[in-house]
Amino acid sequence: MSVDVILVIVVVTALAFDFTNGFHDTANVVATSISTRAIGPRRAIAIASALNFVGAFISLKVADTVARGFVETHAVTSTVVYAGLLGAISWNLMTWYVGLPSSSSHALIGGLVGSAIAAKGWSAASGSGILDKLVIPAVVAPLVAFTAAWLAVVCVYRIVRSVRPGGVSRGFKLGQVVSGGLLALSHGTNDAQKTMGLITLALVASGKLSASNFHVPLWVVISAATAISLGTFTGGWRIIKTLGTKIISMDPAQGFVAQTAGAAVILAASRGGYPLSTTHVITGGIAGAGAGKRLSAVRWGVAGEIVTAWVLTLPCAAGVAAVVYAVVHLFGNGDAGPIFMSVVLVIALIAVYVKARGTRAHGPTPHAEASQA
Amino acid sequence: MILVASTASALIRVVWSSILASVVVSILFAGAVVGLIRASELRRASRGPAAAACTAAATVALLICLAAVVYGLILVGQKS
Repeated sequence: MSVDVILVIVVVTALAFDFTNGFHDTANVVATSISTRAIGPRRAIAIASALNFVGAFISLKVADTVARGFVETHAVTSTVVYAGLLGAISWNLMTWYVGLPSSSSHALIGGLVGSAIAAKGWSAASGSGILDKLVIPAVVAPLVAFTAAWLAVVCVYRIVRSVRPGGVSRGFKLGQVVSGGLLALSHGTNDAQKTMGLITLALVASGKLSASNFHVPLWVVISAATAISLGTFTGGWRIIKTLGTKIISMDPAQGFVAQTAGAAVILAASRGGYPLSTTHVITGGIAGAGAGKRLSAVRWGVAGEIVTAWVLTLPCAAGVAAVVYAVVHLFGNGDAGPIFMSVVLVIALIAVYVKARGTRAHGPTPHAEASQA
Repeated sequence: MILVASTASALIRVVWSSILASVVVSILFAGAVVGLIRASELRRASRGPAAAACTAAATVALLICLAAVVYGLILVGQKS
């Protein structure tokens, strides 16, 4: 019975994490289309929300990687998953509060690995899995998006230079409706699966699913898809206000190319089962599209922020999750630890929100700084 | 060793396929836009057959573009 209570807490927390992922990433997915006026904000957000939902159903390879690629399944308990999740949320909260760059995806996996190590020792983590499926792709993917967008923009400008710019602009605005949709679809495909993988891992850990017959249950797919979709929809209404003033100076051709490159990298990675930071990939695409027009247009400080996020997020989220696991473990194996920590988290969330509301204004999205072409 | 090679080849596949897809789709779409603009200019200049040829070329480019996207999504959706 006690395992069931922890499982319910894990599922609810994981879906809340998924919701915040969608909420946070709406700007990344729709900003380019809105800033080039290819599509109105309300329509862009509605389409992105729907396609995030659809995207979650396309593939389950990333979910499989998250569930089985980074930690030894037999070493995982519901408490380990819970501590990992809470570690990721706490790290995201801390970095958001002090203004450090972070990646929710890397925090999630770092948290899981950290709590597994705290519970069962170093043998619980799969070093090769972390390196091959997370660390190397995390470095490579934004660079690939940058290169793809840069190459594509150079080619596109050569093709369209002999025709009138007004027609080109109108044509690429129409194209952005499709490329923006594709980007939203790819976002749902990669990001929603991370939550699916985590919930499935918790189900295996609690004995609700057999480890030998591993599969992601349909209700997990539907609930994760719904959470990220609702997050995208809700987050969108908040950013409409800021997009008008902190807009990216991109032309529709650059916007189309950036979105196409971002979507291509995320979809290819989803096929390979690589959980990526979609924010980093999309930012790489935007920067590449900016560099293709004028190299000095790129704000290289954003690249520095991404590198900082690469270096810090994984070990720090792992450390925070290990501490969370240790605290939960102090209460024994029952429900008391997770319930106590959940109450602490909710109080911390409210405190940070209230404090931040009075002192901070929302900064520009990664998009807004990635390129000023 | 075999596992490392297989992982590396999977990642390399992600790299080249995403770069290729981005560049090809962008080039095809740019070609279609140019084709449609040219077609409208030719129509205004009363050069009907040339305009029709440009429209046809642009339509083919758009269809290939669409087919590439659909094919990519099918590949992502495949189980293995």
